[in-house]
Amino acid sequence: MTTDELDPLIHVPTRLKIVATLAALPDGDTLSFTRLQDMIGLTPGNLIIHLRKLEEADYISSKKASNGTVSITTVALTGHGREALGAYTQALRDLLGGL
Amino acid sequence: MNPTSDATASADNGGNFDPQQAAALLDQTTQQARRRFEPAQPWLLVIRAVGVLAVFGAVWLNVRGQHPYRHPTATLIPVVITFGVLNLVATVAVARRATAGVSGRTRLRRGEIAAIAVIWIAVFVVMSVLPGTGVSDSVAYGLYPVTVPLIAVGLAWAGITAARADWRRCGTGLAVAVTGAVALSAGPAGAWAVAGVGLCVTLLGHAAVIVWQQRRSVVRP
Repeated sequence: MTTDELDPLIHVPTRLKIVATLAALPDGDTLSFTRLQDMIGLTPGNLIIHLRKLEEADYISSKKASNGTVSITTVALTGHGREALGAYTQALRDLLGGL
Repeated sequence: MNPTSDATASADNGGNFDPQQAAALLDQTTQQARRRFEPAQPWLLVIRAVGVLAVFGAVWLNVRGQHPYRHPTATLIPVVITFGVLNLVATVAVARRATAGVSGRTRLRRGEIAAIAVIWIAVFVVMSVLPGTGVSDSVAYGLYPVTVPLIAVGLAWAGITAARADWRRCGTGLAVAVTGAVALSAGPAGAWAVAGVGLCVTLLGHAAVIVWQQRRSVVRP
């Protein structure tokens, strides 16, 4: 097995941190954009770029809600994203076991 | 040098990001996220365990020589109430911080909070009418307030958390209820000692399970 078999979308430090952070929540829970930004330590612009890539692959879903004055964006790992992280973790295990 | 921070700095496109760095980063991030999302922080559970043992132990020392049982002295009752209030305030503050920005299953629903509150109030309403029904003071003001709240709230918590398939918290609720049930057999004075030790062990056990779950590796199971 080679590193080429690791999902290239997840095998990037920032996106791995995003996916791992969201995976620590129970299935179906959502996290606000600001809390995620605080936990990952990225600028809003950078975080949006990475979230967009993950969303295009259906690894995460995002929702914008407004209560009149403030709009809150929330993100969540999709079932597909959880499966992808599971497969990525298994691939890592296989790779490290073989090293 | 820390391999994960090095990885973050040098390989944002994944090009130089080797599997060992990825595994370390995955474990580090997951463990950090688990710690930060946890509403019941282990350090608070340990402080609570020591506090419960100290307060319940003090009451037990105060009432164990009473024959027949009357009640703890007036100076101890405010201590018990203050401990309960401080405990509640600290628990809510820590849980709010952990779940800030989180919505969904992690948060308790209003109905679940209301159910627990109603059970708490009902338990003490029943206690207030017990003496009028001929129940002795040693049961109404001794055995009942130490044991029945633990059984009622412990079972309610176990039910709520079982419905969410949250087996760790369900186990804690059941352990609290069992502590109350065992304390029932210890008499009005002994119930304080049994409940104090039982709750202390339950809280320490819960803290240990949380720490173990948080530190568990994702990559190396």
